[in-house]
Amino acid sequence: MHKVFVYALSTCPYCRAARAYLDENGVEYDVVEVDKLEGEEYKAAVDEVRRISGGTAFPVIVIDDDSVIVGFNKKRIKEELGL
Amino acid sequence: MSEPRVRRRFAPGTTIEDLKEYMGPFVDRLGYKFNTESWFVDDVLTSELEILEQTGDVYCPCRVRTGDPKEDVKIICPCIPFHRDEFAAIKKCWCGLFVLKEVEDGSELFGVIEEPSGEVEVPVFRVEDLPPGQIRHVKVGKADIAVARVGDEFFALSNVCRHAFAPLADGFLDGYHVMCPWHGWRYDVRDGTTDHPDADVRTYPVTVREGHVFVTVRIRG
Ligand code: SF4
Ligand code: FES
Repeated sequence: MHKVFVYALSTCPYCRAARAYLDENGVEYDVVEVDKLEGEEYKAAVDEVRRISGGTAFPVIVIDDDSVIVGFNKKRIKEELGL
Repeated sequence: MSEPRVRRRFAPGTTIEDLKEYMGPFVDRLGYKFNTESWFVDDVLTSELEILEQTGDVYCPCRVRTGDPKEDVKIICPCIPFHRDEFAAIKKCWCGLFVLKEVEDGSELFGVIEEPSGEVEVPVFRVEDLPPGQIRHVKVGKADIAVARVGDEFFALSNVCRHAFAPLADGFLDGYHVMCPWHGWRYDVRDGTTDHPDADVRTYPVTVREGHVFVTVRIRG
């Protein structure tokens, strides 16, 4: 089992698409909707996203605390999760 | 008691159609159009309207505001001018709300191609937006570029004069030469050469097709 963490925005169509794709494939994942956070939590999440992805674009998918996929890149998600 | 003043870019009650009318003509100049998948366009614009309600402006639904105003202005829709090179390489804006005009099926571009690199032809404006004998500045990625039109030929060179860094696009076009607005150094727009020693400026390839002017730049990578 891979550990999958998704940084998402509630407003972002690719975040919805990526989550739907993971759901369809029965992948379990944790997700945080960054735009729903407030105050310090929001700041911390934004900083973390910038640190790991180098930008502010979503979704950011982290697999096994190690590889980072920016955007809904189906091909890479597939490869990394062995779907 | 007066209402609290919210700085708001679009009037209350703004609709998807209003946004389309506002953005359409502008992105057309930049060489883009709305995605061919209209349900997707409506989806993105619906999100933008939600964000407008919360924040007062149409920030990008796919990126997050950092709180740093200098950075956040770069993600107000349409943000194409800030990311011309990258978007041209992936043929769409980050969200996919807009695609290059040449794209026939926008659904093929869903998802994201990461970190484009290499050479890319970037649309800058329409042919009729620059009359003959004129020169204008465009920012492409980090590069400041002056695009000149001589008759029906287009040329692109660095916008920065090597003398004291004046913007060449504010200068005067005289045949194939641009005269710097500040102290009159002359550059040949065809090859960037000047008579002053070691002061040539770089040039960029230009192509014209489908009524648009494209400048070729190299993006990191
Ligand atoms: S990426 Fe597209 S939808 Fe997002 S702000 Fe830029 S132009 Fe608008
Ligand atoms: S800055 Fe261009 S001639 Fe002086």
